[in-house]
Amino acid sequence: MTQDSMTNPDSRTDSQSTDLEGSNQTSDPLVDSSIDTGQSGGSGGETRTVIESRDLDVFYDETQALQSVDIEIPAEKVTAIIGPSGCGKSTFLRCINRMNDLVDAARIEGALNFEGKNVYDDDVDPVVLRRKIGMVFQSPNPFPKSIYDNVAYGLNVQGIEGDYDAIVEKALRRAALWDEVKDQLDSSGLDLSGGQQQRLCIARAIAPDPDVLLMDEPASALDPVATSKIEDLIEELSEEYTVVIVTHNMQQAARISDKTAVFLTGGELAEFDNTDKIFENPESQRVEDYITGKFG
Amino acid sequence: MATDQQTGTWYGTGEAVSRVRGQAFKTLCLSATLLALLSVFVLLLYVANDAFQPLSADTGWLLVTIGTVVVPSLAAVGYYYTRDTRAGETATIALGLPIVSLLLTGGVFITFEHVVSVYQWLSILVSLAVAGGIVYAHSRVRTEADLERLVVVVAVPALALWFIPKLILSLPMLPTQSIALLGSFVVPVAVVVGLFVRRQRENDRDGVIAAVLTLVGAAAGFGVAPVVGITPFVWMLLVTVTAVPVSLYVESVIRRGAGVSGLAFPLIVVGGIVASAVLTDTLGFAGPTPWLDWGFLTNVPSRTPEDAGFYPPLVGSVMMLLIIIISAFPVGVGAALYLEEYAPQRGRWGRLVDLIEVNIGNLAGVPSVVYGVLGLALFIRAGGLGSGTALVGGFTVGLLILPIVIISSQEAISAVPDSMRQASYGMGATKWQTTRNVVLPEALPGIMTGNILAMGRAIGETAPLLIIGAPAVVRIAPNSFTNKFSAMPRQIYTWSGEIDAAFRHGVLAAGVVTLLVVLLLMNGAAILIRNKYQRRE
Repeated sequence: MTQDSMTNPDSRTDSQSTDLEGSNQTSDPLVDSSIDTGQSGGSGGETRTVIESRDLDVFYDETQALQSVDIEIPAEKVTAIIGPSGCGKSTFLRCINRMNDLVDAARIEGALNFEGKNVYDDDVDPVVLRRKIGMVFQSPNPFPKSIYDNVAYGLNVQGIEGDYDAIVEKALRRAALWDEVKDQLDSSGLDLSGGQQQRLCIARAIAPDPDVLLMDEPASALDPVATSKIEDLIEELSEEYTVVIVTHNMQQAARISDKTAVFLTGGELAEFDNTDKIFENPESQRVEDYITGKFG
Repeated sequence: MATDQQTGTWYGTGEAVSRVRGQAFKTLCLSATLLALLSVFVLLLYVANDAFQPLSADTGWLLVTIGTVVVPSLAAVGYYYTRDTRAGETATIALGLPIVSLLLTGGVFITFEHVVSVYQWLSILVSLAVAGGIVYAHSRVRTEADLERLVVVVAVPALALWFIPKLILSLPMLPTQSIALLGSFVVPVAVVVGLFVRRQRENDRDGVIAAVLTLVGAAAGFGVAPVVGITPFVWMLLVTVTAVPVSLYVESVIRRGAGVSGLAFPLIVVGGIVASAVLTDTLGFAGPTPWLDWGFLTNVPSRTPEDAGFYPPLVGSVMMLLIIIISAFPVGVGAALYLEEYAPQRGRWGRLVDLIEVNIGNLAGVPSVVYGVLGLALFIRAGGLGSGTALVGGFTVGLLILPIVIISSQEAISAVPDSMRQASYGMGATKWQTTRNVVLPEALPGIMTGNILAMGRAIGETAPLLIIGAPAVVRIAPNSFTNKFSAMPRQIYTWSGEIDAAFRHGVLAAGVVTLLVVLLLMNGAAILIRNKYQRRE
């Protein structure tokens, strides 16, 4: 995908025009305090890597949750992370936007690069990182505020200026929620159904126009109808965003993802390849056993 | 199969299942509950009987009152209970709201009369407005200077509060008290009412109408109040604090259209009382001679039980509460926020924090008399503040409830689901933004509930007041925080030692009932706040 498709004119600030004109970014995007610097141009093409981990280990106190994980997540594709419970899939996801920083016991070794910069370097501000990487959580967790304020939350805290009404409407439209809530934007986000709440959370995450969208089992608390809506939505979003989704539903991974990573017990990455390959002809016997339901 | 053959059927109550111990346990628990409730109820009844002395009335008076007030009210209650619960809710609020508003009006009156004069209040408002203007202008001009803004935000209001009131109070020409009240109290209330209505109705015009009506209603006092026989000052307070909330509620019920018949309940009660008064007067029945009456609330303490009043201690309690609100609450909530949101959880410092938290719990259990000694040593001996003043009383009792405030605020803050904090951090919010935008608003109802309950504890404390030297009898209501003061429980304690039995039974009971009513109202407010915000979940 090229840069144009990543550009969302509504939510960009004025600084964006210079990004478009300028060639590759010279300054590091993460230590730059400006809100949204856009993708570094250049490589493009199918295989551009946005997130890459090198020998990533994560420990919770003495327990090792991830073992030397190497992975390269491509831009503007859906990458699914599957595996049995407790295999470290959520841990890996939370490493990407440094949500593990909030867990005192967590300790991270190795490198995790976002746009070529190790996010665990000392000069990376996790708050700036999280402004570039949106996240949707397992159970819907809208704020006890109005629907409008929920979607505008990221704009407010990130200090984004612009026509909030338009940005909110656009985010809700992309989250396929606008038609259902357009007449009740002032009512509480908690009044919505579970599936609507999760779509509200997605709208909230994409409103500030991040580069990457992390989803931690976004449909696990939802019924099949709501789940299929979320899945359709993810496929649409992948046209513009890099989506990394953790799921323990293998059919879901097969349906919506381009790439699939299989984590197995002990926090090791057993296999990472195109989704078709993983589900039809996996390299590893253990992955095949897991896919075919012999364990997990 | 085996059971089939032994008992004939596999179901039913067999010998194998014994419920005797369970039943006995349940009965014991029930009797414990009943015993507790009954003893408290009997005690309250006893005190209320002493305070109101209903049996001192003629039998005729009692019969007439039962006929005009009790029976119609009970009939209405029965109707609401069986036919229309929605109207029952309305009836409760329609009767309770005017009472609470009237008491609040009394509180505001006392505050303006004894604590902050209208001119002081006006000058404080002006200073805050000036300071706010400067801070706002600064944020517009210097958008990037964060540190500088912090200094401005702290320093400008402090300086403004220091200089501007002196300037205003030294002006040679001040408006009359009523005009000052109109400007400094009625106008802000009218603005708040207007904004409230606008938000409720999502209609600018309605908001303006509500604000203008409030203003006009209050200003009408200049013409109407003397005719009714009260000062324009009292009229304005009645309009803004009592009439406005009540009429807003009545209007909202009528517009909602459900439970409208509940609005009749206060009319039935008040109408019954009026009818009873008229009837007993014409028939010549004498009413009871309660110890707790209007005179008791507005008189000063006296040597004769019949003239004894409760006004100075009432004022003293209000002043003490004000001191507590502005001293203990910010400190307590701040400490709770730090301990919950910022304090290290692990390592050596984490253990220290744990130790501190355990000891805050211990402090909550320290006897109040010890806090009295602490207050005496800290504020009077070391701090050099005058003994027995409202300031020292407020600080001492504030110290006493500080652990309670911290613990209850901590509970409210930790009850905010972690998923909300995660959501906020995930959106790229900083710690401060998360605390400010998510944690505090979500925890505020719980914090307020806890603080109001702590205030209830504070208002009943006696021992610390004895130790810090609150006088046994205060004959003039204190007019400043550095005057000698007495609080309600202190005065009750004095009455309990009087030789005259009328003091020990009648007057004391009246004081106790007054104190309990204030306490019940505060606890009721806490419960209302809690329920209102729990319902949303």
